Amino acid sequence: MNRRFIRLTVNGDTHELAVAPQETLVEVLRDRLGLTGTKRGCTSGACGVCTINDETGRALLACLALAVEWDGRAITTIEGVAVDGQLTPLQQAFWECGAVQCGYCTPGLVMTARALLLGNPRADAHAIDEALAGTLCRCTGHIKVKQAVAKAVADLAAAGNGTTGDGPQG
Amino acid sequence: MSLAKSLSDALQRKPVCHCLEKVVDDRGRDPSGGWLTRISGGRPAVLYSAGVGRRPPRRGSPLHLPTFDYRRPQSLAQALGWLAEFGPRAAVLAGGTDLLIALRQRLLRPELLVGIGALAELQGVQPCADGALRLGAGTPLTTLVEDPLLRVRLPALAAALQSVGSRHVRNVATLGGNLNLPTRCWYVNQGEAWRQARPPCLKTGGDVCHVIRSARECFALQSSDGAVALLALGARLELARAAAVREVALDDFYRNDGLAPTTLDAGELVTAVYVPVTPLRSTFLKIAPRTGLDYGLGTVAAAVAGSNRRVTAARIVLGSIGSWPVRLRGAERIVAEGGLEPATIEAAAEAARADLGELTNLYSTAGDKRRLARVLVRRALAALRRQPEAQAA
Ligand SMILES: Cc1cc2nc3c(=O)[nH]c(=O)nc-3n(C[C@H](O)[C@H](O)[C@H](O)COP(=O)(O)OP(=O)(O)OC[C@H]3O[C@@H](n4cnc5c(N)ncnc54)[C@H](O)[C@@H]3O)c2cc1C
Ligand code: SF4
Repeated sequence: MNRRFIRLTVNGDTHELAVAPQETLVEVLRDRLGLTGTKRGCTSGACGVCTINDETGRALLACLALAVEWDGRAITTIEGVAVDGQLTPLQQAFWECGAVQCGYCTPGLVMTARALLLGNPRADAHAIDEALAGTLCRCTGHIKVKQAVAKAVADLAAAGNGTTGDGPQG
Repeated sequence: MSLAKSLSDALQRKPVCHCLEKVVDDRGRDPSGGWLTRISGGRPAVLYSAGVGRRPPRRGSPLHLPTFDYRRPQSLAQALGWLAEFGPRAAVLAGGTDLLIALRQRLLRPELLVGIGALAELQGVQPCADGALRLGAGTPLTTLVEDPLLRVRLPALAAALQSVGSRHVRNVATLGGNLNLPTRCWYVNQGEAWRQARPPCLKTGGDVCHVIRSARECFALQSSDGAVALLALGARLELARAAAVREVALDDFYRNDGLAPTTLDAGELVTAVYVPVTPLRSTFLKIAPRTGLDYGLGTVAAAVAGSNRRVTAARIVLGSIGSWPVRLRGAERIVAEGGLEPATIEAAAEAARADLGELTNLYSTAGDKRRLARVLVRRALAALRRQPEAQAA
């Protein structure tokens, strides 16, 4: 097969992989690196469960990204968010608000909200709605998710810490 | 042992295992003779994933992409060279937010994808000598939406691009990809298995249309939101192919044909969009089932120059309603002659229905589309009327 080597940094660890051109990031993360926190959902950009963050903390969909295009780049997945097993304020807010039902969409929602907080630590209700559009909770638990993100914004502001509180990017 | 041999041994060590090929084998030796470890640089690479992914992905499953080759050009010239060489066997990959889905649905089977995403020549927003803005075709939509110059001078474009998909999509989707969005319909834009329940249609090599049974043409919809705004703003495109560059007005780029919706030639790329920033007011509105993610049931963009009383130029465009973005020339004339006054706005909204010509029942009924057109035009013109006239200098 027509494979080529790529170097991909995931949550700070650099991986050398031989990938075929048609392999997507979500396939590489789950099927090769065993990082199954990133879910495979609609594979057509409409559900957001495969959301990961790039070097600049932007949200993107791992089902619509070819691994070969990510050679030399760094991404953060849900496995890279908690620091030393400690939940970040954002994750803590999800926990405390009960913003989880079956949990399948939760990693994508956390990575989506993380991108929002990194870009806009003072996100208001409108910004939260806008950022979360594109993620679907089929248990229909969106209200609590929105409450959780708003709580994280408030908690981080109260702590005087305008970031998501987790480790360095990449 | 030669490097090639040791590499191929490393790759074939476990014929059924598609998980990360080991850099260190079971006895701790590096089968590549150290090469793999060396290219991983100072930081030790994670060498292999134990246990997971032992089941090879089922190729050919609709979840996976079909096989193709991939090349990443280092320059625009190189990209154009490959596109010329491979012709219809190559496809351009920009952000991939539409193309990868089309590939998954087996709507096309290119031999080669040319990944133009990172080409420096296609990036960024630059003011030109004549005051126009040059938007690189490879610029991500988020970059454009957040650009201060664009937000102030081209509010219709900022609003249109902001309405595309979700933030996740806009972070990677590009302007060039948006303008080259294929037309869509409810039969063809589905998985292959779904399509195979019926004979192929005009777009997939057959001679029937499953949307309009009597049709011998394809009426699939053009739903690019950027196209609608840029058409109202009077944009021009810069198109390049190996050893030739041409410019074309966006008015002459789109065709009212679901099968061949643009005049882009094989091997040609959209490299940039030039938008005049002659003082004008502009707006964009979209009606969709959901505010996020959905294509419009109808969209409108309108731009006027002059004051409310004396409009010197007007352009009004509807999108997601036909196979091309439709310019409403009758409505434009009414506004250009009568100004942005309540009575003329009403008259223009009425005229929009006539301007649309024949409509299909694709995604919504023709009657609904006509009513929607009237509402969209009325709202857009009313919004323009409310915008400060000073901007119209
Ligand atoms: C969930 C979801 C929702 C969406 N909603 C909308 C929406 O509301 N409105 C909308 O307009 N779009 C929407 N899209 C479609 C798409 O994401 C956007 O149109 C996007 O801008 C496409 O850009 P891209 O760079 O990802 O294109 P790609 O997928 O890379 O390419 C799309 C097509 O354009 C061609 N192409 C790309 N760049 C060039 C170039 N420079 N020159 C010539 N041809 C080129 C490709 O070959 C391909 O045929 C949506 C997509 C998803 C997944
Ligand atoms: S509208 Fe076009 S693509 Fe859709 S079924 Fe008819 S011919 Fe095929």
